[in-house]
Amino acid sequence: MFRTPTILTAAAVALGLVAPQTDLTPKEIIERVDRVMRGDSSHGVSQMNIVTEHWERELVMEMWSMGTDYSLIRVRSPAREAGTATLMADKDIWNYLPKVDRTIKIPASMMSGAWMGSHFTNDDLVKESQLIEDFDVELTFDGERDGVTVWEFRLTPKPEVAVVWGHIDYRVRQSDYMPLWARYFDEDEELARTMRFSEFKDLGGRTVPTVMDVIPADKPNERTRVIYESIEFDIDLDRSFFSLQTLQRRR
Amino acid sequence: MSGGAWWRIGWRNLERHPKRTVITALGLGVGYFAVVFLVGWMEGIAAEMVENATGLVSGQVEIHHADYRPERSLYDTIGGRDGIDVEATVAEVLADPAVIAAAPRVYGGGLLSSGESTSAGMLMGIDPDLETRLSRFLDELVEGRLPQVGQNEVVIGAELARQLESGVGDELVVMAPGADGSLGNDLFRIAGIYRTGLTELDAAFSVFALEDLQILLTLDPGRIHEVSVSTADPWIAQETADRLAVALTGGGMAPEVVPWTELRPEMVEYVSLIDSFYFIIFAVVFLVAMFGVANTMLMATFERRREFAVMLALGTTPSRIVLAVLYEAVGMAVISLLVGAAVTFPLMIWFHNAPPDMGWLYGELTLMGALMRPSLRVEYNFVIWTQAAFALLATAVLAAVYPAVRAARVPPADTLSGS
Repeated sequence: MFRTPTILTAAAVALGLVAPQTDLTPKEIIERVDRVMRGDSSHGVSQMNIVTEHWERELVMEMWSMGTDYSLIRVRSPAREAGTATLMADKDIWNYLPKVDRTIKIPASMMSGAWMGSHFTNDDLVKESQLIEDFDVELTFDGERDGVTVWEFRLTPKPEVAVVWGHIDYRVRQSDYMPLWARYFDEDEELARTMRFSEFKDLGGRTVPTVMDVIPADKPNERTRVIYESIEFDIDLDRSFFSLQTLQRRR
Repeated sequence: MSGGAWWRIGWRNLERHPKRTVITALGLGVGYFAVVFLVGWMEGIAAEMVENATGLVSGQVEIHHADYRPERSLYDTIGGRDGIDVEATVAEVLADPAVIAAAPRVYGGGLLSSGESTSAGMLMGIDPDLETRLSRFLDELVEGRLPQVGQNEVVIGAELARQLESGVGDELVVMAPGADGSLGNDLFRIAGIYRTGLTELDAAFSVFALEDLQILLTLDPGRIHEVSVSTADPWIAQETADRLAVALTGGGMAPEVVPWTELRPEMVEYVSLIDSFYFIIFAVVFLVAMFGVANTMLMATFERRREFAVMLALGTTPSRIVLAVLYEAVGMAVISLLVGAAVTFPLMIWFHNAPPDMGWLYGELTLMGALMRPSLRVEYNFVIWTQAAFALLATAVLAAVYPAVRAARVPPADTLSGS
């Protein structure tokens, strides 16, 4: 009977009696999950499949990232939008539009706007990288869910931080620190969207979730799916790569 | 004695002190003027507010897809995905006798960028010919001209131009999510700049040729979000909307036709709040007048104590005395009304047709989100005129009741013996 101790442990944890069975703090676990998916730097190709009430489309994107502050995403297909690129550097976002050969800086007021028609917002590109900095992490569950041993965390924004979320619930698989889902709640504590991770595979020398779905709570029939085709980590990238010059380079 | 004789007695008493009569009548007449003019002016403000709010951009009636409001989604075009025959629909709306103008519109949201600066704004596609007949905000551009179809031109508000540090002839990058999910983007040249004085409006709306905006937003030519309608009088918007809804329903189209009274309920409430002030104006003005009249009548009856005593001694019933004084009051009211009308109506006609501009005193001001040019414009209201006339009559008569009763109770013997 292995279950009993687990349940007891879970109860104890819930009551705050004992620390979880790891020497990492909740914050360190989240940090580790985050690092697994990001690396110091990365370069990959992914597909983005967007389904809405009104249309369905598929983008192929090439992405580069460095640390939490720099990333560049360039659309490769469809042909009509190939070359469209987004640069995130520090907390600013620029869009490059190849059709008119112009770069637009996204104003702060549009940070919650959709990125390329997907269910990701511009903010996601920036803020997603700052979970650790902006949120307090609290362990809310430690035990078995659907036959898998998991942790569940609640991320609450620090009082001084301006974020759109009331809190985020996060489930992480204990065996390999893989995220299973994240649920984003708005300021009225209502579920706003769910992010699901699946298809954990070895890619670029480490296990990562290769499929990520975003499902808006108010439109359950819509979703954006990101499928990683390839990814490599800790590559040789320089900060100067994340520049407007690179952004405007058509490929 | 017949009733006519009592009228004559009342009238003679008015004639006996022409100065006093004229001054009292002036008091009441000015009261009449004050009520009619104040109410007319308040109605003028309300009318101006409604006309500005509905005439500037929105129109008095709006026709949308049934689901368009309140989310104003890009996809909810009139007639759904298939769209409509825009020209035929506009013609059908114009066929309604109450409609004086109708214009199709396309809306979208997007980013406008020039150099380093980017602003988010509403993109509005219009038919320049039809639009200028309907709304006023594009009538007088600060600079330039309206966008021409197929030229990728845009007219922006003065505030947005300031934010983007751009002027006529400059290029803007416009980026907007299209109806097929793609990221619409193109270059547009600024053809003109408008200014309404409402900063939020001047920062928000960028105006394109309808067809150009449809291409940017990947909407088919038959897909529009709105037909805006202008009616001859804002207060017939509701019935016009009802008629249009019946006329337009059918053929796969079941649009929502909403009058401004539904879109701007707070403005309707404000107007009815103004209406409720009328009673207060009536009460204040005529109450003040009433004490003035009562005072005069008390004096007039007091100095005729002996006269009343003689009449009573000769066998006149007290009720006849009361009647005589009241007739006098009615006579006073009639003179007052004539004086009041002589003062009021020429001024009303003047201020209605050529209201003096008060802009030099206040500048432009906004009320309930409507831009107002302060003026002394007055509105006609025949009901109020009649009500005020009756109120004046009632004031004079009520004010005379106490003096009349006093007069009827004069003790004849004591008064005549001089004590």
